[in-house]
Amino acid sequence: MDESKKIGRRDFVRGAAAFALAGGTWAAVGTKAEGTVWQLDPNKCTQCGRCATHCVLNPSAVKCMNQFNICGYCDLCFAYLHPGSRERNTGAENLLCPTAAIERKFIEDPYYEYKINEDNCIGCAKCVEACLVFGNGSFYLQVRQDVCINCNECSIAKACPSDAWSRVPASKPYMFITGETPPGQK
Amino acid sequence: MLRKKEFEKSDFLWRVSVAVTVVSGLFVVLVFTLLIVNYLQVQAADPINNLAVKELRDQYAAAPEQDAALAERIRDLDLLTRRAFFTSQYHLRVGGILLLCGSVVFLISLKNMDRWRPEVPELKDRPPNEVEWLSYARSRQLITWTGVVLLAGGLLASYLTESVLASNTTGAPAAPAETAATVATAEAPAAAAPTAAAAETTETAKPAAPVAGAGNAPSWDEMLVNWPSMRGPGSLGVAHFTNAPTEWDVATGAGIKWKAAIPKAGANSPVVWGNRLFLSGADSQTREVYCYDTETGEMVWQKTLESFPNSPAEPPDVTEETGFAAPTMVAHGEQVFAIFANGDIASYDFEGNLVWGYAIGMPENHYGHSSSLIAYDNLLYVQYDDSNDPRLMALDTATGKEVWVAKRKKISWSSPILAQTPMGPQVILCSEKDVDGYQALTGALAWTQECLDGEVAPSAAYANSIVFAANEYAMASAIRLSGTPDAVQSELIWEFDELLPEVSSPVGDGERFYFGTVAGDLVCLNAETGETVYIEELGEGFYSSPVLVGDRIYVIDRDGTMFIVRAGPAFEVIASHSMGEPGFATPAYLDGRIYLRTPQNIYCIE
Amino acid sequence: MKILSKAALLLLFLGLTASIYAIEIRFAPPDFQTDYTLPGERIPAPSAGFGAWDVLILFAALSTATWLVLKKRSRRGLFLLSIACMMYFGFWRKGCICPVGSLQNVAAAILLPGVGVSAVVVAFFVMPLIFSLFFGRVFCASVCPLGAIQELVAIRPIKISSSLERALGLGKYVYLGVAILGVGTGAGFFVCRYDPFVGLYRLGHSFNMLLAGGVILVLGIFIARPYCRFLCPYGVLLGWMSRFSKWHLDIAPQGKCVDCRLCESSCPYNAMDMPTPIHLMENQDTGKKRTQRLVLLVPVITGIAALAGYLLHEPLSRMHPTVQLSERIAAEDLKLIPEQILETEHFRTSNKTIEQLHDEALALRSKYKVGGALLGAFLGLVIGLKLVGLSVVRKRTVFEPHRETCFSCGRCYPYCPVEPEGTPDVAQERV
Repeated sequence: MDESKKIGRRDFVRGAAAFALAGGTWAAVGTKAEGTVWQLDPNKCTQCGRCATHCVLNPSAVKCMNQFNICGYCDLCFAYLHPGSRERNTGAENLLCPTAAIERKFIEDPYYEYKINEDNCIGCAKCVEACLVFGNGSFYLQVRQDVCINCNECSIAKACPSDAWSRVPASKPYMFITGETPPGQK
Repeated sequence: MLRKKEFEKSDFLWRVSVAVTVVSGLFVVLVFTLLIVNYLQVQAADPINNLAVKELRDQYAAAPEQDAALAERIRDLDLLTRRAFFTSQYHLRVGGILLLCGSVVFLISLKNMDRWRPEVPELKDRPPNEVEWLSYARSRQLITWTGVVLLAGGLLASYLTESVLASNTTGAPAAPAETAATVATAEAPAAAAPTAAAAETTETAKPAAPVAGAGNAPSWDEMLVNWPSMRGPGSLGVAHFTNAPTEWDVATGAGIKWKAAIPKAGANSPVVWGNRLFLSGADSQTREVYCYDTETGEMVWQKTLESFPNSPAEPPDVTEETGFAAPTMVAHGEQVFAIFANGDIASYDFEGNLVWGYAIGMPENHYGHSSSLIAYDNLLYVQYDDSNDPRLMALDTATGKEVWVAKRKKISWSSPILAQTPMGPQVILCSEKDVDGYQALTGALAWTQECLDGEVAPSAAYANSIVFAANEYAMASAIRLSGTPDAVQSELIWEFDELLPEVSSPVGDGERFYFGTVAGDLVCLNAETGETVYIEELGEGFYSSPVLVGDRIYVIDRDGTMFIVRAGPAFEVIASHSMGEPGFATPAYLDGRIYLRTPQNIYCIE
Repeated sequence: MKILSKAALLLLFLGLTASIYAIEIRFAPPDFQTDYTLPGERIPAPSAGFGAWDVLILFAALSTATWLVLKKRSRRGLFLLSIACMMYFGFWRKGCICPVGSLQNVAAAILLPGVGVSAVVVAFFVMPLIFSLFFGRVFCASVCPLGAIQELVAIRPIKISSSLERALGLGKYVYLGVAILGVGTGAGFFVCRYDPFVGLYRLGHSFNMLLAGGVILVLGIFIARPYCRFLCPYGVLLGWMSRFSKWHLDIAPQGKCVDCRLCESSCPYNAMDMPTPIHLMENQDTGKKRTQRLVLLVPVITGIAALAGYLLHEPLSRMHPTVQLSERIAAEDLKLIPEQILETEHFRTSNKTIEQLHDEALALRSKYKVGGALLGAFLGLVIGLKLVGLSVVRKRTVFEPHRETCFSCGRCYPYCPVEPEGTPDVAQERV
């Protein structure tokens, strides 16, 4: 009898503990149950170059993108051409990108389209800085969510000196430089 | 009893396992070493910061003509670096997988070694249970000691680590706010007539002005009857003398008292003290200071700044329009001060003897350092626009030693002004985002307002307790100052963004603020309400700043036409005279004369 | 040339201005005459994160592990399951998010306002605990990716003395306390930051963490599961749950045991408790007195430790990046350190004033006063209760695994001579 009482008490404690555990953590979930992913705010980014070096992936999951609807399609694009360049061709001496990841295509006089080859882009932000200083700022860095493995603590976020990184809802995984406006057709 | 399969032996399989273990172990060590080497290679073959490529690129850019061979070398090296980078990364990945596989084989075979020659477990006798008691006692001891060590370590750490934070942030005294209202109301009726603006500034200033504490430092009154800095006393754009000429003709020479050539270019404006006029000029290699006699226009002396011990070896990067001598000098009592784009600063006496000088250090500034100097009491204010360390320095005029320094957040291309506010003299600075007021003598930040943006060039205006600051791409804002010297209140009273100045600085007469735009508009706004009084097209665009001379506004446009406009609610052009040369500097207006700088010449108009 | 003329216009004299804005359209996007259409950007959706599928797999893995431990009693099966789990949760899912790390997400949701946590993460956190409450640490046995890799390399384990084991075991309580303090004050997720094995699963990470992982694994060949035994913060919670587990791995029952001690020597974790014959029991009075003394000491120890934790708030607060930055800036301003680092350089050009930063850091520091005291109290309480626990020896008649520390790895199964293969005894319900 003594024994069975003991067992009953234990079971009760165990059941209560399981209930408290599940219930308590469920309460903690609250209403914000949506999954989140990492993203950087291009308006806060200062192009320090750490996105290229601090990602656990190699090359980094952060890549440059060109938002076409605010791109000037300039012939003389400082994000594409090195300041010391003398000609506007694809010679390495004329290119700013250290991995030649920007592809230039003639559209019509005097407009050229600049596209990022993401296989080559390492997220160093050199072109971002140049476009911001001399152009429209249509080049900016974004985490490519298909590459990112969404670490619980992002190594780049920890290293970012300008507090540009945060977790964003997985349903809105990008932060466009034009704010809410998604890029795309004009 | 031990019949379990687990304890079967096999000598042959054991031998195989040993062999596999040894081979895979060696393989793991080899791959591991290669990986480390490869890792170091990846570090070295960093395409972003490859020094060799950078050097070649610099050479290529600096070469007078296009160098095809050099371009070819850059291409080769660049390709090599990139290939090294990407293949090294590939190697790292493959190496990682190889290492992993090797380790798995190693571990399995190691396990098999045990499996095929197991240590046959021996059945032991019942153990002496005292051992367990002993173990419990020892555990208690060890845990206690661990706790003691944690405790001691923690306490030691808390005593050994002294935070610099505590000693640095003693906390500014809380600012009492009650007196603000009374001062503001007492100050309000002060604005009587537009012409009284200059006088009014002096009057309110007197109680606050320091009583010549530093021996022979010139008083504010002395400064008023001279033209010590760009835009006059305190850089406020208000002339004390109201008798500047309104009629002259460059073509016939009528009204031109003298004209003298300036040896080297400089985007700075003339300053005058007594009968001496000072200018500076520079090119990439030399920096010069010129002193003219205001009566005859003769150059009294001309000095070339020697290089100081720490002067930068290379000339600074400046744009053509900024040049190497954009900051205006300041004349102050018996000394004159000049600063140049490379950060060299110097003081001469009126005889041309160097009093002191040194190199502050090359400022990081993408157009070129261009903030003008200003002096007050025994302090020389240097707004040092080095984007690595933007700061406002107050130097002892006698020795050049730093008296205090105030950190700024951003650089700008505007200049400090000195306003005699009811709360004491303040140095007011514009920067990207903020307008800041510093107590002139202590350097304490008295107030700050976030109302600007972009790369700010126009300086602020001040009249009648209202600071007016504006910049293209931002807003024009009026900030009313009130409170006590210890607790200055600043309040944004209105904003205006229809037209904005890009370069030229505004001026206030107490009732209105005036400014000119690069497009050539003259804008006049009500000082209290911000309502547009008028916007008129005038001239070919303004770099030079308007100056209030009595009841007239003088302003010269980029084509070199001087406009004289009535200061008041109605737009009225009194006169306009072409100088025949571009106008960029702000002239000096002193006792019936105008000293006007053009690219090559300095004119005295009487 | 269009750019050059515009650029020239911007470079004005004397006070020259051009505005650098985040988005300032200097060059109006062109009106194309040809039928060119804007290509549009590639904005790929997030690669499918952890979802219901992973929760199911975790549940299945836990159930399988439970079955293997309690019914099948198969060390081999557990070994194979741990390889499978290491492959899936480790190499395939890149080790993120694991229940060990989820501890922090849940703590953040509880402690920080406005932070949520997704249901999947909660499931990852709760499921192993509930399994542990009923079946012991079956999660550790072969499901945990961190445990699995260590279990697999533990080939030549040597035994360390059980007293040393208990003292070093305090490490995981410290780690748990510090990790939760870090989460609660917003300093970061330390358990993830210093996860030694995640780099191996991703084949890439910081060089130092990879090296640390390698060293722990090499060490783990001889000292089995060093991370689990001395550091794992989640293991603390699992241990607490397992202490009250309804069913648990066990070895030869009373009457059948031959006292061979093989199970004890086969356990590399010092988790096998010996029977305690009555005739060798300690004098009851001595034990009672000591226990009473220790019980009375518990609040004293807790108090002292809380005070020590409070005094430690200053060094503790340095785990927070804002405090680090603030101290660095202060030291730079006092000219104690010569050069600026990227962080302080960027801060100085930001809108925030140094005073604001210092105020923020000081506010954080006072948070650490409370946090430090709580951390101290927690560690003091743990030490006190451990001492009390070690003062009484429960009477045992057979060899049985220690429910809190046993990982249910099943290493002892093949060594027990009384269990013929293929006829496993039904796991005994705990009484």
